[in-house]
Amino acid sequence: MSATPIAEDGRPLDRAIARQAAAWLVRLQEDATPVDVAACDAWRAADAEHERAWQRAQRLAHMFDAVPPQVGMHALNRDRRGDAAQRRAAIKALTILLLTGSAGYSLSRNVPWRDWISDERTATGERRAVRLADGSEIELNTRTAFNVAFSPQERALILNDGEILVETGHDPHNPSAIYRPFIVRTVQGQVRALGTRFVVRQEYGATQVSVLHGAVEITSRDTVVKRVVAAGQQTRFTARLIDPAAPVDPHVADWSQGVLFADQMRLGDFLAELSRYRPGVLRCDPAVAALRISGAFQLRNTDDILAALPDTLPVGVVYRTRYWVSVVAASGAGEAQRV
Amino acid sequence: MSAVQFDAQQQVGSLYRDHHGWLQGWLGRKLGNAFDAADLAQDTFLRILSAWQKAESADAPVDLDLRQPRAYLTTVAARLLVNHYRRLSLERAYLEALAILPDAQAPSTEDRLIILETLHQIDAMLGRLTAKVRTAFLLSQLEGLSYADIADRLQVHVRTVKRYMAEAYEECILLMA
Repeated sequence: MSATPIAEDGRPLDRAIARQAAAWLVRLQEDATPVDVAACDAWRAADAEHERAWQRAQRLAHMFDAVPPQVGMHALNRDRRGDAAQRRAAIKALTILLLTGSAGYSLSRNVPWRDWISDERTATGERRAVRLADGSEIELNTRTAFNVAFSPQERALILNDGEILVETGHDPHNPSAIYRPFIVRTVQGQVRALGTRFVVRQEYGATQVSVLHGAVEITSRDTVVKRVVAAGQQTRFTARLIDPAAPVDPHVADWSQGVLFADQMRLGDFLAELSRYRPGVLRCDPAVAALRISGAFQLRNTDDILAALPDTLPVGVVYRTRYWVSVVAASGAGEAQRV
Repeated sequence: MSAVQFDAQQQVGSLYRDHHGWLQGWLGRKLGNAFDAADLAQDTFLRILSAWQKAESADAPVDLDLRQPRAYLTTVAARLLVNHYRRLSLERAYLEALAILPDAQAPSTEDRLIILETLHQIDAMLGRLTAKVRTAFLLSQLEGLSYADIADRLQVHVRTVKRYMAEAYEECILLMA
């Protein structure tokens, strides 16, 4: 039964009515029979204040829907006994964390406090190209942020988060007499361009580099190991180690054309990749994570990608809200539910 | 009791002139920094002004003892302090929660602020609940556990879980704007 929305002007609600509403919610939450539902509807219709209480409860449910479960549990179910002793220090770090890209703070952040405003950034699902003063073209993938730090000695780009495709320029207006190397710095070290076209991707605890044209020299930050990686090769490095070079994935830069390519990719990995391009939460039931998926998917519309999954795989897509989605095993009786 | 006729703006103004500096010092000692102390001192006076203006327009008696202005101020400020600490502890817990999320599940920058704001609103409603009630309620609302599962988790009867849920719902519905 639908009801006209009751205007909520913040007038206090009678506790007795709130108590009644609570009782109805508990009664309906487990095994609600049609009789229960009808009785509740009657209670709601009996008084505008009843309906107002009911609608407060609905809004409450929506608020919970907006919160990722693990995050919500950890934040809301915290031990509050030490609250009064909190100090201010947490806030500054929090503000910076909130305004920068990655949740993997300690391992992938490269943010001295003063640098937390990135010169260039993209939002979730956004893709953009920028041209730097030296003629370099940088394509930013989803959730990417970097600082430009050109100096007379070098043309540096500090990658704070995300993934970029770099095409270095020839620096025709170089103000200094000597050649300025083009360098991408991440938390794990630096990537110096020895040629023109490569992809750098910040991951959790490591940087991934794929070279399409020319070559780069990687230097790990802590151990100062150097390795040259040439066109057709890719590698991953941490602050201490640089992996041996492997053949480059031919689809590593497909995102710059708006495509996510999969060739017998594990569904779990595919969804993890797809979630970079979607706000909110995208989960994969472990029961179906090992299924294989193939195809070239248009990143322009991630909803369409999700909607098509049940066409080819035995999965269902459950939308708790538009941006809180789970991919689960398709049940015999069930159907994909939409909000 | 007859209504006290007064000009709220003027009264708060003189309260401010006479005691603002002192209050800021008091808060600064509690908080350990001047920044937040200044903010909370402002909030205290704003809250008092708003309450008095409401009383003034409703022609209602103002329930306060102006003979002890500092006691009055610290009472109001203390409530704001409690809120402040609660917000701080929530934000710290939120920061931790974000830090341990795998990157693939990390909410975007925009979402993170929205989620934090939502968490603050929810947190304010849960403040008066005891830990067990809160845990049961959150297990239900966030993780979608059944009452039977919650009972198992908390080692209580299902009927106790139902009591907890009703208590939490009642509190939230009451406090919800």
